[in-house]
Amino acid sequence: MKLNPDERWDLIDSIARHVVTYGEYRHTLKDAIGELTVKPMTGLPIAIAVMYCFWSVFGSFAGTLCTDGFFVKLFDGYWLPWLQEVFPGKGGWIYSILIDAGGMTNGEFILSDNCFEAFGVLTSGLFVAIGVVLPAIVIFYLMLTLLEDIGYMPRLAVLIDTVLHKIGLHGYAIVPTILSLGCNVPAVTATRILETRKQRFIMMTLLAIFIPCGAQLGIMEEVIPDLIGYVLLYLVIGYFIFGFILNRIVPGKSPEILIDVPQYQKPMMTNVRRKLWMRVSSFFKVAVPFVLLGCVVVNVLYLVGFIQWLGDLLAPVFVGWFGVPKETAGPLIAAFLRKDLAVAQLSVIEMTQYQMLSAVVLVSIYFPCVATFAMMLKEGWKELIGSVAVLTVVVFLYGGIIHLIGKLLGVA
Amino acid sequence: MAEKNNFVMIGIAILGLVTVAFGLADILVSVVGDGTGLSIIEIPGDMFRGGWGGLIVLFAGLFYLSGCKNVAEVHNASKVVIGSVLIWIMAGTDIFAMITESIPGGEEGPWFNSLSGFFGTYAPPYAPAIFLLPFSLVVVYYILKQERAR
Amino acid sequence: MKILLMGHPNVGKSVFFNRLTGANVIESNYSGTTVDYTRGYMSLDGKEVEVVDVPGTFSLDPKDRAEEVAVAMLKEAKDAYVICVIDSSKLERGLYLALQIMEEGYSVIIALNMDDVAEDKNIKIDNQKLEQVLGVPVVSTIAIENIGISKVISRLKDAKPVDVEDITVMRAGMNHCGRCGRT
Repeated sequence: MKLNPDERWDLIDSIARHVVTYGEYRHTLKDAIGELTVKPMTGLPIAIAVMYCFWSVFGSFAGTLCTDGFFVKLFDGYWLPWLQEVFPGKGGWIYSILIDAGGMTNGEFILSDNCFEAFGVLTSGLFVAIGVVLPAIVIFYLMLTLLEDIGYMPRLAVLIDTVLHKIGLHGYAIVPTILSLGCNVPAVTATRILETRKQRFIMMTLLAIFIPCGAQLGIMEEVIPDLIGYVLLYLVIGYFIFGFILNRIVPGKSPEILIDVPQYQKPMMTNVRRKLWMRVSSFFKVAVPFVLLGCVVVNVLYLVGFIQWLGDLLAPVFVGWFGVPKETAGPLIAAFLRKDLAVAQLSVIEMTQYQMLSAVVLVSIYFPCVATFAMMLKEGWKELIGSVAVLTVVVFLYGGIIHLIGKLLGVA
Repeated sequence: MAEKNNFVMIGIAILGLVTVAFGLADILVSVVGDGTGLSIIEIPGDMFRGGWGGLIVLFAGLFYLSGCKNVAEVHNASKVVIGSVLIWIMAGTDIFAMITESIPGGEEGPWFNSLSGFFGTYAPPYAPAIFLLPFSLVVVYYILKQERAR
Repeated sequence: MKILLMGHPNVGKSVFFNRLTGANVIESNYSGTTVDYTRGYMSLDGKEVEVVDVPGTFSLDPKDRAEEVAVAMLKEAKDAYVICVIDSSKLERGLYLALQIMEEGYSVIIALNMDDVAEDKNIKIDNQKLEQVLGVPVVSTIAIENIGISKVISRLKDAKPVDVEDITVMRAGMNHCGRCGRT
């Protein structure tokens, strides 16, 4: 037999009356703390503190301890010199692709002295993947998982709900947004928690353009630690400005949803471990092949002179409109494959601090990496084309604006 | 009982005021520029720890002040707990940063730090939050005891 | 034999799942969609039993894609046992889903999870009475502390399909039990 909803609720009512007794409800300390984290007046300071904790631990663990503390020494001090020594065919093209592209000074072949510059598949490629990105991703996902399992994420969603309404989204959009700081690929999948195509389109476009992934953050932390704050600031501002605009011009609805806020609880270690392992391993299955492939493609393009040619071609745009040196054309090509790789490459080009800032922001907002591209294509080619169109406009507008701001401040 | 409450209230109020002062100092110093040290207290001067972090210390102080009036009441007690949690975040991340700094041997050195170098990292001066840490623990201990007694 | 774990989002379902299955978990993609779910195995009387962590759903009338998948997964496994995980402090909401699943003719066992939270809120549920009324096993659990999980498993054999009509009759009995003496 089946009941209709009314009958079902009636039945539940009478069952509940018989089996449940409600004692006097007392506000516990746990409840009161829970409320404080959701109310805007008190919740925002707490959210600011939680984010601080997140980045501070991220920087200390990934940057100070793992990458600077051990991996740089391992790769630059042992791995690179050893490979440079034992690998045959110095100066040949296989050597350039796999080990070290080096540099030509006065017709003499000079080896690179660190893994950022060598740009071989086995040197820079492995260094970026294992030395920089691995620790960043592990600590990032560990903290994200902890925040989820403690029950803080839904509260953050409630807290940020009103702000996200302005850009056509709702509180839960914070989930793909933060996931995206780890990797854009799972974040694109996570946009499914939004209801309408409009919301999913806005979210996907924004995260592909304005949210740097964990790999990029790791590299930024490594090569431009002083500028990372400003880069993020530019990106956050862009996220909201263009979200606001997109909400106005994209047709469709942005319905509200009810967010269910669970109790705070202590996280279960096995659960955390399992989630962490799944996230890290699936990230690496996607990321590592692309890092290595990226090295190969960029090296080949360099060797055949394509990048110099493109740099010359685009030089007026780069120098005149964005205010960055024309050598940045190469990294922008690499960015299509892996953005982290591109930031690493930028770090060895000579330029002023503000130029570096502009270039890194541009690389961040410029095309999503191939893996993200593929994910978005899976969601629908119309969305993808829309995103690319938005992206082109954004890169030009925003690049110009940053240049302009720099000019006005007198630093560009 | 009422007298004891007064005593606690004054304690938390003082802690709140000191915390607010530290927070403001952090922010001011980082706006001006260089970090300064007052013997064993080090006020960080960068935008991350000083500016952003200082803001959090300031918030912590405000939480203490807004909750100190009647800590026996659960809503006020929760504000004081949150104030303490913010202090723990600041002190915790600072200590974690010290730990991560103390283990590796530095750019030119060996793989791991020497023992003296290891302990050297933990020498003062410390950021204000670390000095506030013990007091924040005492306050929370008191509140939890009070909650359990109910 | 197959066990489905069903319940609202945020009732501790995945913690419950972890307690049952341990480490050998497979994250899978429900074909044709992009909703992920996890499944694993536990041993019951020496046999391997598949346990599926079905995406959280509020009812069997799906409102979003994850709920659609949940309903489809239920429909596919006609002879599965369903452990319905309910948040003890929100019994009524949980019972709605449980009843719907029972109406579909599944063998249901009800886990009243987060018993500690209900206790904090001073809500008491008479398990035995609930079990009597519904005719399915009811067990209190605190999955996060591993309390009651093994009891759920041991009561699995008591789960059997129940006709909701019996419950409604039972309810009629309860309402007038003082007079007619029916249980």
